[in-house]
Amino acid sequence: MRISLNKVEQIDDHIFSRGTTEDRLIFEAMLILDPALKSQVSWQKNALDFVQHYGRKKMKAEIESVHRRLFNEPVHRRFRNKILNLFK
Amino acid sequence: MVSLKFPVNTPTEREKLFIHLYKKAFPATARYVSKKGGSFDEAKDIFQDALVIYYEKLTGSSFVLSVDESSYILGIAKHLWAKRFREDIRYTPLDPYNSEFIEYENKQPSTPMLLHYLETAGQKCMDILKAFYYDKLPVATIARLFGYSTVHSATVQKYKCLEKVRETVKEKSLAYEDFIE
Repeated sequence: MRISLNKVEQIDDHIFSRGTTEDRLIFEAMLILDPALKSQVSWQKNALDFVQHYGRKKMKAEIESVHRRLFNEPVHRRFRNKILNLFK
Repeated sequence: MVSLKFPVNTPTEREKLFIHLYKKAFPATARYVSKKGGSFDEAKDIFQDALVIYYEKLTGSSFVLSVDESSYILGIAKHLWAKRFREDIRYTPLDPYNSEFIEYENKQPSTPMLLHYLETAGQKCMDILKAFYYDKLPVATIARLFGYSTVHSATVQKYKCLEKVRETVKEKSLAYEDFIE
């Protein structure tokens, strides 16, 4: 792996608290000594937040498509009526 | 736990799980919302959010379901209802559904324009990162789903993508005020 990718992996391990105690302590020390690394950690967390939002958005779309199926396909009529009756 | 019978690796597999959960758990949530004077659309919104929360719990490493899954989903739904309609939350039992989904409600959506940019300019990377970090699939499954011949190459791709998304987020956030909002 490229050196920069190793760094991405190290930051990932740090964010998710993986690795040996020794690795973690070394990384903590590097964070203190290297402000640029600290900033990379924060951008990487930011990127992961976007991944989380992306995942959630996709998941909602999948669930919405299930909803459309259940409330439109004739085969699910009984289920649909049972629900709709609750709101009459 | 019933849902463990359902693999949830692909959209098709998840569709089966969601149909199952809809049939099993939506009637109780709808009944509850209806009793509270809510509408069908409100029941739908709350139930769908509860399903997302349930899915996120399911993929979390340490999740052990101590109650029936439909009771669990109903519990989340009740809590979401109380929160949204400012009922006194003290009277809505929380156990065993703890704080994770409160965090779900409080989390602000990240800048929509940048998310949109990432979706369109880097969808392939977003999809592979989603598989790792959101769906939390095993790396061997991800390699298979995304067509990598080895676990190693899938892992390398993960870090390449993470670096790319990180640099994009950084660059766009710093460069364009539009993205900050």
